[in-house]
Amino acid sequence: MGVQKKQPASAASRKRTLDPITQTVIRHRLTSISAEMGEAMLRTSYSQILNSSRDFSVAICDDQCRLIAQADHIPVHVGALPWALKSAKETFPDPQKGDVILLNDPYYGGSHLPDVTALIPVFHSGRRLLWTIVRAHQSDIGGATHGAYNPTATEIWQEGLRIPPILLYERGRLREDILEMLAINVRHARDFRGDLAAMVGAAHLGERGLERLCDEFGASLVTEAISAVLDASESRARAIVESWADGVYTGEALLDDDGRGREDIAIRAKVTKRGGEIEVDLSASDPQTTSFVNSSHANMQSAVAMAFAFLLDADIPKNAGTFRPLSVVAKPGTLVWAKENAPVTLCTSHPSNEIIEAIIKAMAPACPERVMGGWGRRFRLAIKGQDARRDRSFIWHMFHARPGGGASAGGEGWSSIGEWHSAGGIKFGSIEVDEARFPLLFRKHEFRLASGGVGRFRGGMGVDLELIVEAKGLINTAGDGARHGAAGMLGGGDGLPHSYRLIRTDGSSRTLKTKEVGIEVGPGDLIDVRSGGGGGWGKPPRSGSHPRSAKQASP
Amino acid sequence: MGKAAAIGIASKVRKTGVAMTPSYRIGIDVGGTFTDIVAIDQDGVMIFLKTPTTPENQALGVVEGISKLAARLELPQKELLRRTSRIVHGTTVATNALLERKGARIALLTTSGHRDVLEMREGLKLDRYDLRSPPPAPLVPRERRLGIAERMRADGSILTPLERASLAEATRRLKEERVDGIAVCYLHSYRNDRHEKETLAYLREELPDAYVSLSSEVLPQIKEYERVSTTVVNAYVGPGLRAYFADLEHRLATSGYEGTLYIILSHGGVAPIEEASRLAAATVLSGPAGGVAGCRHVALTTGNLNLIPFDMGGTSTDISLIVAGEAALSSNRGLAGQRIAMRSLDIISIGAGGGSIARAEEGALDVGPQSAGARPGPVCYGLNGTEPTVTDANVVLGRLSADRPLPGRGTLDRAAAERAVDELAGKLGLARERTAEGIVEVINMKMADGIRLATVSRGVDPREYSLLSFGGAAGLHACDVARALDISRIFVPNFASVLSAWGMLSTPLRYEASRTHIGDTRSLCADDLRALFDDLAKVATDKIIAKAAAEIRIQRSAEMRYGEQIYEIDVPLDDLDWDAPDLMDQVSDAFRRRHEALFTYSLSGQDIVLVNARVAATSDADALPDLPASEAKRSAAPPKQGRIHLGSWRKVPIYPLDALLPGQKLAGPALIEADTTTVLLKDDDRAVVNRWGWLDIAVAAR
Repeated sequence: MGVQKKQPASAASRKRTLDPITQTVIRHRLTSISAEMGEAMLRTSYSQILNSSRDFSVAICDDQCRLIAQADHIPVHVGALPWALKSAKETFPDPQKGDVILLNDPYYGGSHLPDVTALIPVFHSGRRLLWTIVRAHQSDIGGATHGAYNPTATEIWQEGLRIPPILLYERGRLREDILEMLAINVRHARDFRGDLAAMVGAAHLGERGLERLCDEFGASLVTEAISAVLDASESRARAIVESWADGVYTGEALLDDDGRGREDIAIRAKVTKRGGEIEVDLSASDPQTTSFVNSSHANMQSAVAMAFAFLLDADIPKNAGTFRPLSVVAKPGTLVWAKENAPVTLCTSHPSNEIIEAIIKAMAPACPERVMGGWGRRFRLAIKGQDARRDRSFIWHMFHARPGGGASAGGEGWSSIGEWHSAGGIKFGSIEVDEARFPLLFRKHEFRLASGGVGRFRGGMGVDLELIVEAKGLINTAGDGARHGAAGMLGGGDGLPHSYRLIRTDGSSRTLKTKEVGIEVGPGDLIDVRSGGGGGWGKPPRSGSHPRSAKQASP
Repeated sequence: MGKAAAIGIASKVRKTGVAMTPSYRIGIDVGGTFTDIVAIDQDGVMIFLKTPTTPENQALGVVEGISKLAARLELPQKELLRRTSRIVHGTTVATNALLERKGARIALLTTSGHRDVLEMREGLKLDRYDLRSPPPAPLVPRERRLGIAERMRADGSILTPLERASLAEATRRLKEERVDGIAVCYLHSYRNDRHEKETLAYLREELPDAYVSLSSEVLPQIKEYERVSTTVVNAYVGPGLRAYFADLEHRLATSGYEGTLYIILSHGGVAPIEEASRLAAATVLSGPAGGVAGCRHVALTTGNLNLIPFDMGGTSTDISLIVAGEAALSSNRGLAGQRIAMRSLDIISIGAGGGSIARAEEGALDVGPQSAGARPGPVCYGLNGTEPTVTDANVVLGRLSADRPLPGRGTLDRAAAERAVDELAGKLGLARERTAEGIVEVINMKMADGIRLATVSRGVDPREYSLLSFGGAAGLHACDVARALDISRIFVPNFASVLSAWGMLSTPLRYEASRTHIGDTRSLCADDLRALFDDLAKVATDKIIAKAAAEIRIQRSAEMRYGEQIYEIDVPLDDLDWDAPDLMDQVSDAFRRRHEALFTYSLSGQDIVLVNARVAATSDADALPDLPASEAKRSAAPPKQGRIHLGSWRKVPIYPLDALLPGQKLAGPALIEADTTTVLLKDDDRAVVNRWGWLDIAVAAR
């Protein structure tokens, strides 16, 4: 069974027996419980990737693996968690109260190895009703390179530790030997333990809230309210979809390369929109590669859900009801659904960005007022080295020089805001703090003028970063978008692609490619980063002098 | 108003045994509609009045209020002001300038190569699923953000000396652009302010009239986005505020006032006018700060030191926290989308109020966050509102009496409220009363959830707190909201509307000095730390000595974090033995204890980093006299009876708050009507009237 298709649930005929007031109260309480879980994570997690970059998500699902409520931190996880739950339930069909299931494997419902997921079943009156789920990106998960982004990996074992669904807690008892086995396999055991404690803590907080809710209203009323909530979200989403023009649409987006010479790898989306139904078929996408740009199945599902959510209204709940009008078709062995054991670490950024862009591009004629120009690509850069002044080793991850966002019917794109998959959810740190802590000097960090795609509204600008490294070290990169810029929509131009260069003190220079490891850098060398701009929207005015775009030309 | 004025009159009679010329202090709170004026004499007797706010120049309303006050006291205005020892003023001039984007035309000088820090906003965007809204326009457009050739390193050493030619060129542009204000923010100026100081000297020569804000003065702290944004806000609201203060000071001086005019700042302390003028960005929460300061005073007065002030108004509900008798502060705030990283009272606004609109959505009921606001307001106001609001639901349920006039609104139109609720009831297939009850239930749940989330994210368990209910809409909802949060006690003061002006008069003088010292605690020695804090204490005390000779209290704290974390937490350092040789260990322990209290865990053996050292100097010497006890009136009048809906229509007693006797006990169900609010007690809720005439409610468990 290569092709997988979700049947839209029939919602129309359900008889309403629930008081509309109780329904609202229960809906808000569910949202509020997930928000509390998210808040607890933000405050208690230890590593920077969680508490600053917010690379985590929390959700409440029911025992049928339907997403009920999700706290939005960054969009990349939307709709991904039910797949983890499905896999956990397959392994543990009869979990008990006090169990905590852990997993990260992309072939067991995970996205990529650094994303570890904790799942807790919630019981009421002895019956398993709901689940609280927390997924968080770990700063390291073992494997050949620090942080799991390993462009040289040819199989998943080189990317890190694989965790199929396991019991971290059994009936409330921590399995310490298992925790020890996990911790010994990662580079920052202390961060890992701290973050894991925060994840389990947040999931338990959600469990307590849900138990109280069931105590108050009774389990059956809560279940009934959940169905009503999902139905209401479904009809809201369907009403929006129905307003789009029917048809079969296609869109294509290209990855630069797999880092091994294979270039212009295509994601192809065929979108069939009929009435209130929308089917996204990615089966015509190019075959999978030998490197980490492949996507896992759950990540592909999440990317499609993200694209769909971007086309709806911002405030529509992200739950299973909202996604009912959407069905997804894909083929194993393609880039978007790699077969077992292929490396996949880059997938939450690439090809997630390209999957979204291909779908949005396809939909441009169907709902021009809702589509937006492409958002910039992710091009990671990390420097590892020895800081002689402070006499210690360091690892610095670049979150600066964020690319531009796409323009839309609403106006110009945001500058320096990030990629499709984070959409302004990731904060870059203070330059002053980084200069105080690392042997780095930020000579320039300003908008990259004229980098946003032209259009009736211009795409947002990327950033010019001139970074002087004042120590000896090694650079690793992981990303894409140095050849293909963010797509313009409806006649708008593409944003400029990324351009990263290394200029040495002796005047020699080289281009930094998007998938490289171990590039030597010495004191005084300059990393010259020009990050990509966002795509424009609509045909540019003929004269070329558009007031809203003026600032991109100013000195 | 007349009632409020009576609060102390009786006790004045009681105390007139000693003949003494009364002296006054005056609190002035300028709100959107009314300017509240409170005068308190040396016996604690309080006189309160309202006068319309004059938005074109708030000073006119202030002066008008003072002359009304003089008339009320039967004193010539000059005599009143001569006898006035202190005027404290809460102003919304800066707030409005920011909210309405009507501040000064300003420019920003930055380190060359870093012009866009302000507009980049650290790469963050509030709503990650809204990809169709354009970015907000920054307060300073790019063409007025000018790079200056200069550069400091993180250790404060000079990498590139300030280039005069570059400054001269920028100044030429500033003259062309005709700016009123200039913000100057160079990288690492918190460590070495030399280039900013040189720039200031140059600008003073070239542009003597411009309002110049240096980041090293406004917020001498590491993190460039927060510093630049705060400095820009300061320059943006500063010129208007300076002009307003100058005008007000002049008017008061010509009316005979010789004392100092104090302004209440966003952190809840007061500062003299020249300081407030310089730190203009610190006044953007001046308005609500008085209310919170009043709540703090309630906490100290009642001895109930952990309070959640619950201020439910028409469009929003504002809550804050009084923890151990101190108002909670935060450095993570802003206003109107602008980041202001100065410490300010941590006031959290929840989009739910009496004007929140109820509607049917997909067959379910929802309430808010849309609000009918002041216009058209709830349907029962009769100002052409058509959508039912929370207030309308309360009228339908009989909980808000339609016969009783609301201040400035006349009586309420009950039939109109019923029609609006009926229409919604029809869409939902429910009865009128069930719909109205549902509206109240949903809004109560939203407020309770908002409070729970705000307290959880601040590491506070609401069950350990009491609720302080004020604001016009609060009384009808306080018991249910408290119940949902497992809060067992509520205070309802009898002069809620003057809480703010009263709070200002109870506020100590306060100065803060802070300095960034980024470094882990192991590399800092005890002597360095003592020297750092002594230095800051001297800066803060010197300023306060100029204004108050009395006893000065020093509070030391530090913002600290674990090495790899990015959120600092505020660690109070007052209880340490500062002379002990193990001072640094004590500091680390204090941090760990605080971290554990907030986040349930701490980690041993990890680097602890001290980022900002902070000293606050306060002078409580000028404390308010005790609140006079409520006068024992005649015997308790028997309550009226009314019919309200509580699951079914029931007959309940209705008490006027000002006719209740200290010590009197009330049991729910009952309504208590005060000047500005109505309080609902449900079954098993009990209240006792305390010595000041306030309600002290024991909330029934859920």
